[in-house]
Amino acid sequence: MDEDTGQGTAEKAENKPAEEKPAEIKHEPKHEKKEEPKEPRKKFFSSEWYDKHYKKLLIIAILLFVVSIGYIIIFYAQNGDIMHKDVTLTGGTTITVYKSDLNMPELESFLKNKLGEDVIVRKLEDFTTRRTVALVVETRADANVTKTALEEYLKYKLDDTNSSIEISGATLAKSFYNQLLIAMVIAFAFMAIVVFIVFRTFIPSIAVIFAGATDIIGALALVDLLGFRVSTAGIAAFLMLIGYSVDTDTMLTVKTIKRKGEGPVNSRIKSAFKTGLVMTLAALAAVWIAYFISTAPVLKEIFLILGCGLFMDLLTTWIGNAAILKWYCEKKKI
Amino acid sequence: MAKITWRIWLLIFLLIVSAIVIINPASFTGNVQIKSIVPNSSSANAGITSGEILHEINGQKINSMADYSNAISSLTFEENPITVKTTNGTFEYKSTSVDFNLDNRTITIVLGKAQQAGLKQGMIVEQVNEMSLDNYSFQEIKNKLESKAKITVKTDKNEYTFLTTESTGIVVSSIDITRIKTGLDLQGGARALVQPERPLTDQEMSNLIETVRYRLNVYGLTDINVRDVSDLQGNKYVMVELAGATPIELQDLIAKQGKFEAKIANQTVFVGGHNDITFVCRNDASCARIEQCTETQDGSQSACRFQFEVHLSEAAAEKHAAMTANLSENMSQGKSYLNETLDLYLDDKLVDSLLISSDLKGKVTTSVAVSGSGTGKTKAEAYDAATTSMKKLQTILITGSLPFKLEILKLDSISPSLGQEFTRNILIAGIAVFIGVCVVIYIRYKKLKLVIPILITMVSELLLTLLVAVLIRWNLDLASIAGILAAIGTGVDDQIVMIDESSAASSKQYSIKERIKRAFFIIFTAYATVVVSLLPLWWAGAGLLRGFAVTTLIGISVGVFITRPAFADILKMITKD
Repeated sequence: MDEDTGQGTAEKAENKPAEEKPAEIKHEPKHEKKEEPKEPRKKFFSSEWYDKHYKKLLIIAILLFVVSIGYIIIFYAQNGDIMHKDVTLTGGTTITVYKSDLNMPELESFLKNKLGEDVIVRKLEDFTTRRTVALVVETRADANVTKTALEEYLKYKLDDTNSSIEISGATLAKSFYNQLLIAMVIAFAFMAIVVFIVFRTFIPSIAVIFAGATDIIGALALVDLLGFRVSTAGIAAFLMLIGYSVDTDTMLTVKTIKRKGEGPVNSRIKSAFKTGLVMTLAALAAVWIAYFISTAPVLKEIFLILGCGLFMDLLTTWIGNAAILKWYCEKKKI
Repeated sequence: MAKITWRIWLLIFLLIVSAIVIINPASFTGNVQIKSIVPNSSSANAGITSGEILHEINGQKINSMADYSNAISSLTFEENPITVKTTNGTFEYKSTSVDFNLDNRTITIVLGKAQQAGLKQGMIVEQVNEMSLDNYSFQEIKNKLESKAKITVKTDKNEYTFLTTESTGIVVSSIDITRIKTGLDLQGGARALVQPERPLTDQEMSNLIETVRYRLNVYGLTDINVRDVSDLQGNKYVMVELAGATPIELQDLIAKQGKFEAKIANQTVFVGGHNDITFVCRNDASCARIEQCTETQDGSQSACRFQFEVHLSEAAAEKHAAMTANLSENMSQGKSYLNETLDLYLDDKLVDSLLISSDLKGKVTTSVAVSGSGTGKTKAEAYDAATTSMKKLQTILITGSLPFKLEILKLDSISPSLGQEFTRNILIAGIAVFIGVCVVIYIRYKKLKLVIPILITMVSELLLTLLVAVLIRWNLDLASIAGILAAIGTGVDDQIVMIDESSAASSKQYSIKERIKRAFFIIFTAYATVVVSLLPLWWAGAGLLRGFAVTTLIGISVGVFITRPAFADILKMITKD
């Protein structure tokens, strides 16, 4: 028993770098990667320790899934939905004003008083100059009322040269939301079918699908945790993630179960890992760079969600999926 | 040295094609292009054709749309003395145009200066400025007396000097460096998603779309995209996208059905549309203009009236005659009018009531003046308001009412200035992403000869995706651009798989060809999963996110079928060397 708990902590310690490295690398991809794959990694997938305890890693993967689901359920109980939605999914008005020198909290409370509705004021910033380009006012209140109130505060008229307006009807927004959720379910089912057709074996296919599901659910949990408000574009990003996140899982599965003649399971997994890590790191670098530089809220949102999903993918593929495949290969003597 | 395979040649060929297609050749010669020329206008008569590129107007260089409007607004028009001889006497005034219109020789509509001078509807004209109507047609007289300014237009083809009236007849647009069409969120404009009052059949839907498009065209909006969209639940909508229009205009033109009725004593005389109305005077100062701006006594409110002429069909004119025949005459302000007014209704709301001159009693007249007003805080505001409502009313009279009532469910407007900011930002982000990916690849492989093909492939994929977008006339919006970046991201993934597969130590027993084939198995599987996961976006949310799905699909397809095979061959060349 004592040994077991001892191993448990060791296992966590071993595991930590796998979780934390990518998070750092997304900021500083330069010097981080050099030594990293050589020493700890090589040892990790081909070590005796991995052979002994890989099944425990599987528990971590399942825990990740369960914790994410649990968090979303608690979130649902508290907020009445599985995510914070912005006005494109609830209905309401967004007004973007090209003005930089405004007191945001003051404006927010002024509008709240005027409209009697919740108001959110955000700013759009230029990445290079750190200059505020515009202010975005979001509220569920009626467009004309909001515009009048805003004009009263600004003391000038809003027209198409100094502002942008987006209005979404509440029924339409709700129907969009429902449809996009349905679209996600359909997309996921399609992805699962493709995976089954390609691999034609039950366990490895399920492993890929399980990893994909954890990516999506984990990314959603992360987005919820960050308090991010999702718009229609964000849901498109989740859809993209469904297809994108199984890339590395596919590669891993092909390399592990379809290449029997290429050395022991561990070295096949290791070779897949070397490829997959670069894949995901390149994608993470791209997505996070784009996230930090973009001004447009739509782009920021899409990249944030892809970024969260890819981060989850690092965990699900190399902890969960790899372990299932190793187990499968050992059972089937592949 | 390994040979350059057909796959690489294909890629090179397509890259050249995309460079040719994407870059707009007109952008090398100027910035402002003549989009169209109004037929029979002074500039059309001078020989200017559409497509020419503006260089100078009256010696002023034209480098932007602002330069153009400055040059045009600095043209000065003088008022000419006008003498009109009628059977009721002679009237003299000064104006930039004759300010009235004739039906045969009878004045049908009087405006502005002519009205102030005392000319009235129904008078019979004999001469204008010594030109007798026996010898000249009214059109000739009008043309002669309309005030003109000399204008010299220098284009890439020719130099034209001619006299022009206040409207030059030239419609210009700015020239972009590329032929890439950007979506509303990048170029500015308005978009509305509207739903008809009840579900429509396909036939009704296409009628509706035609009418909406016609109405917007008549109103003078050029960059229009009207289409029907449906969603996963089978609801049908109409999507209207307008570059450069304001949401208020869009709202007025679409959300209002535009049912126009002219009534006398609550009986309809004529309605909007071509059945009753054969002609609506527009853009012609002698029969359509703003007049009589008045202020309230405290000066807090201003109002301007507009008036324009319409021609009725024979049937409508006879109806008008029959209805006015039994009315009695009244005297008001020294003039004789009929005891009922001609009431103009728009969408069942009374917009104006006109006194009917007793001359018209029981007469079959095909020419009728329609009027209305606009109000504002200042005179200028009121003038603008009147101009806009006149334009709207003219549009509605020409196009008739929409067959169905429409409800606006979603209305977005994006100002052009924010769009420009976004575009600049996207370019920077794109370059940074390319560099970031290259850095990661270099750190992993430490071989510049691997980084360069990857960079070339990324740029190729970008160009080829843009090529397809230009060819299918896809408007790139923000979501589409995110899609392109995501597609390039998956492309990099695939290239990494290929590099590793081709050099994997564990598979030495296979030829490089075999190894690359194995890489493609992984690539195709990944491709298939992305494709199927994006398919539902085509329908969901009324297709508002189609842009994201389409560009991602184009991007990854171009990658899998064109750039990746070429990259494989380049890789073979490198490994052989």
